[in-house]
Amino acid sequence: MDAAIQLTGLAKTYGRRRGLTGLTLDVHHGEIFGYLGPNGAGKSTTIRLLLDLIRPSAGTARVLGLDPRADAVALHRRIGYLAGDFVVDGRQTVRECLRFLANLRGNGGAARIGELAERLDLDLTARIRSLSKGNRQKVGLVQAFMHSPELLILDEPTSGLDPLVQHTFLDLVREARAAGQTVFMSSHIMSEVQAVADRVGILREGALVALDSVEALRERAVRKVEITFAAPVSAEEFTVDGVSDLAVDGTVLRCRVSGSPDALVKAAARHTVTGLLSEEPDLEELFLTYYEGGAGHAA
Amino acid sequence: MLRNVFTKTLWDARRSLLGWMIGTAAVAMMYASFYPQLANGAMEEAMKSFPQSMKDAFRLNDMTSAAGYLGANTFGIIVPLLALFFGASTGARAIAGDEESGQLDLLLAHPVSRARLLLERFAALAAGSVVISAAVLGALLLIRPAAKLTGVSAGQLAAQCVNLALLAVFFGALAICAGSAAGRRGLVFGATAVIGVLAYAMNSFGPQLGLEWAQKLSPFYYYIGGDPLRNGFQWGDAGVLAGASAVLVCAGLLTFTRRDINT
Repeated sequence: MDAAIQLTGLAKTYGRRRGLTGLTLDVHHGEIFGYLGPNGAGKSTTIRLLLDLIRPSAGTARVLGLDPRADAVALHRRIGYLAGDFVVDGRQTVRECLRFLANLRGNGGAARIGELAERLDLDLTARIRSLSKGNRQKVGLVQAFMHSPELLILDEPTSGLDPLVQHTFLDLVREARAAGQTVFMSSHIMSEVQAVADRVGILREGALVALDSVEALRERAVRKVEITFAAPVSAEEFTVDGVSDLAVDGTVLRCRVSGSPDALVKAAARHTVTGLLSEEPDLEELFLTYYEGGAGHAA
Repeated sequence: MLRNVFTKTLWDARRSLLGWMIGTAAVAMMYASFYPQLANGAMEEAMKSFPQSMKDAFRLNDMTSAAGYLGANTFGIIVPLLALFFGASTGARAIAGDEESGQLDLLLAHPVSRARLLLERFAALAAGSVVISAAVLGALLLIRPAAKLTGVSAGQLAAQCVNLALLAVFFGALAICAGSAAGRRGLVFGATAVIGVLAYAMNSFGPQLGLEWAQKLSPFYYYIGGDPLRNGFQWGDAGVLAGASAVLVCAGLLTFTRRDINT
């Protein structure tokens, strides 16, 4: 089966500045794909290429089996899009705005307006201009989800949302996957993607530096470990594979472990262990290493 | 009113459009209503000393007849310039305004082609131009008897107002065409307004500068040069304005469908 999104050598140059350098990526049908990267890495550029708002300098994109440019109208019928910077005319009411956008889609476009507005606690009678940033973002979410599109393309969907609404948003995304919809969402924060994404791609300076499932990334991630021993230990014994930032303070050992903690555990087993504390692997830190262009390899 | 881009654009512009209608009609009415005071020759007397070239430029050679008076002042300066600014500002908003504010991304991510968006925006602009011109016509018909302007028939007034609408459409098309390429509202509005004012000057002063050909390049020439207030409908002139607008819109379509939308 065709991928929902299929990018082959996709590149975009803005003048002499490079926005995207030869991106090759498949997003599968029915998955939630998290697209991560710092601001300016090329996330929005990729998304705007998918929607034919800008044209590639090289390479090709197929979205739902269609060409973003030649089949733009047919394709947009099957997509829900939330821009990173969602802007609509502030003088209209929320209902007016959503009705209009639904009408552009034709039949069934407005089916879920009432239900979604209720779940997100959005007042349909309010004027857009009177809304806070978070409430405006809710309008953007409703218009993206309201017609139950096959593919949701969401650029920084949770920006400005309070934690409660973020939670509702994640529910909506999971429901979309359960209904067989594909979700492509960008973010510069790992934690919001980590919670729902099946796979994650990390973008840095216009190129993909990592592409893997959240599980696999977790295995490669760095975790902080603290071990307490019955008697003082020496640091030399613990300079084993995967261990870094080692610090021994009498009977307490603190370090970071990347990948498998096996070697560390085996070294510790030679002593009497009275306490062991291991934090959740910090994916955020893994991403920081990718962002900074340090360690890490594309899988 | 929320069915498509055309009706939505008009609906969003309803207040501003009402303002343009009332404003333009009121200005036209005010200028026209001075005719009885000035028609008795006082104006003619006052302008006796004006150089002939100035009289030619501002169509001041016949200020006593109703057609001469309306052509020189109501339809000579203020109303066509208002039409120019309506066209330039509405046309600049049509593409460039929404692009600059970021609203274009959302519309174009819907099942609306770029060509359709541009054409519906242009259609809304044309409808606005017609409505404003109709308001001017209505206002003048209303005060025609009281202002002693019966020397100009309703048909002749209508003929001038058709050209007025087409003048606004032309500058709107010019701004849309510029916006299709540039996507910056202030720039597009400014450029269109400057071109409009230069075109006005070219029509008024071209002949005195020995530049008859330049006059014929000006849309204002096709708007009033055929003197619709005396000669009735000038279909050839109207055709030139409509045709030129169509060419500008087509040029806009070509550039707009090919380029990147700015963020």
